[in-house]
Amino acid sequence: MIQINNLTKSFTTKTGKGFKKETVIVNAVNDVSFECKPGRIFSLLGPNGAGKTTTLRMIAGIINPTSGNAVVDNVDISQGNDEVKKRIGFLTGSTGLYERLNPDETLDFFGKLYKLPEPQYTERKEYLFEKLGINEFRKKRMGQMSTGMKQKVSIARTLIHDPEVLIFDEPTSGLDVITADSIIELIRESKENNKTVIFSSHIMSEVDLLCDDLAIISKGNIIFNDSFDNFKKEMKADNLTQEFINRVKEA
Amino acid sequence: MRDLFIIIKKELTELLRDKKTIINSIVLPTLLIPILMFGGIKVSQMIQENNQQKKVKLGLVNAPEDFVKLVANDTLNKVTTYDGTEDFKALINDGTMQSALVFPKDWQQKMDSLDVAEVLVHRNGTKDNVNGRISKLMEVYNTQLKEERISKLQIPVEKMTPMIQTYKETGEQKELIGKRVGGFIPYIFILTMWGGCLLAAIDLVTGEKERKTIETTLSLPVSKFSVLMGKAVVASLLGFIPALLNLTGLIIGLNFIDDIPDTFKVALTEMLNPQSIIMILLLLIPFSLFLAGLIISLVAGASTFKEAQSKASPIIILIIIPLVMALMPGIEFTWATVFIPVLNIGLGVKEIMAGTINIGMYAAMLVSLVTFAIAAIYFSYKKFSDESAILS
Repeated sequence: MIQINNLTKSFTTKTGKGFKKETVIVNAVNDVSFECKPGRIFSLLGPNGAGKTTTLRMIAGIINPTSGNAVVDNVDISQGNDEVKKRIGFLTGSTGLYERLNPDETLDFFGKLYKLPEPQYTERKEYLFEKLGINEFRKKRMGQMSTGMKQKVSIARTLIHDPEVLIFDEPTSGLDVITADSIIELIRESKENNKTVIFSSHIMSEVDLLCDDLAIISKGNIIFNDSFDNFKKEMKADNLTQEFINRVKEA
Repeated sequence: MRDLFIIIKKELTELLRDKKTIINSIVLPTLLIPILMFGGIKVSQMIQENNQQKKVKLGLVNAPEDFVKLVANDTLNKVTTYDGTEDFKALINDGTMQSALVFPKDWQQKMDSLDVAEVLVHRNGTKDNVNGRISKLMEVYNTQLKEERISKLQIPVEKMTPMIQTYKETGEQKELIGKRVGGFIPYIFILTMWGGCLLAAIDLVTGEKERKTIETTLSLPVSKFSVLMGKAVVASLLGFIPALLNLTGLIIGLNFIDDIPDTFKVALTEMLNPQSIIMILLLLIPFSLFLAGLIISLVAGASTFKEAQSKASPIIILIIIPLVMALMPGIEFTWATVFIPVLNIGLGVKEIMAGTINIGMYAAMLVSLVTFAIAAIYFSYKKFSDESAILS
């Protein structure tokens, strides 16, 4: 369960040249509230620069909010980032893999830092390697892998500690249909296992396939927050993509 | 602490799988000093031998017979005799000759009457080898003439030698050589240390940003301080190891390279005893942490390798200037210099190698280096915690 209440993130930037510098405060995320329930997939959609990544980073405890709070699996993020991080599996376009390690070493590193008991860790790792088809390249260094191989390992390291909350930001971006399908299946499986899932994508067919609840963020503000069924009921455009574009333009 | 070790292990594994790191931090530092020692000795020997074998083209005017014989016995064997009217400047410039000695026409008369005669030497002052050899030859001839005159005047040799100087060295050979060459040793290993720390720190901080793995690391349930400390410890290790290998290379060089003068070899071997080495290495531990912290704080906001290099590289000046100062005469290891980083290491290592280090001052230097290391780590942690800098 994720409960977001009035979350705001401001960044201070300096503009100007020479001695004449002005300090400008920009709200990347402005008073955002929403709720993600266990056993449901929550889609957070928004154009580039809307504040999506900043919101996800705050939920994952990577950056601190300027104001407001978020409760992740009953832990307030202000109570300690490490406790929140233990409960989250975080995968975005900016969470790359260590190029000079192989999948086995990468998962060992994550498993140890998540303090997983050895038998549980080994069993989980073997399950994920089998499920995602990583076994054939488990000793190959990340730097020598294709985008699809890397993404499979990224998914495995996100799920290695079997977290209660999963954040997937464009997990199928740049992948072939077969790999994308295996990842979609894992996300569905997480939902069936009563996990809380935040899923973000620019591929509307995937959103249509997976989404239970939906929030649209634009210029740091939430412009829609309801169930996906209600979104579809309220649709004025012919398809999801057009409806999304219209709503962002109107906001 | 467990988390810190896991991070250190991972960072070290990653760095040591990079060929660039292996070459710069392991291979080059180990081979640098032996190659410099071996190469330096061989090159200077070759130059010396070559110079000795070179024929010098010499022009003589009115030269006495005994001098001509002396020249003939030397390797200065390309002699041309002139009558004294030539333009020697033009002949030297066009390479016909390299030097010309013009004896006066009344040379023999002056010698017979025990007068002073002037020999005019035409030469190009920049040709050190030619001029040195001719001067040496003239000195030999001058001594020969002096002895003939003393003998002719029937003066006992001791009467012409009013004073002889005998030196009794009070300083140990170790102290003498230690003070003279001790300053060069930190010069070498501090620079390799800087290079190792710089490469590692940029790879571990800016490199992670470029490879988009910094966010992956920050999403782990580990404090930012542990992540930063892991990086700082590994960067300092990659600075410390080259310095250690420099010292190892020096010891290997001393043991396996022939042609090093024996007195120098014995003194250096004595200087690099286990106690001195431990004292030097103890100084380098906090200093490498200081360097790592300083570089990380400088490169934390950089988003590319190039930007990080341009931010950190100018700091090399702040390292070279104190090191050069440590080599200058008159700058001593005192209570005033003991707290200045880099300068204190330059001066301190000289004292350690000469065996004249004051233990109180050594302890003060160590404490000051530890304090600087803590301050640099604190400062780098502040920069590393800056969200907009580290996630930019």
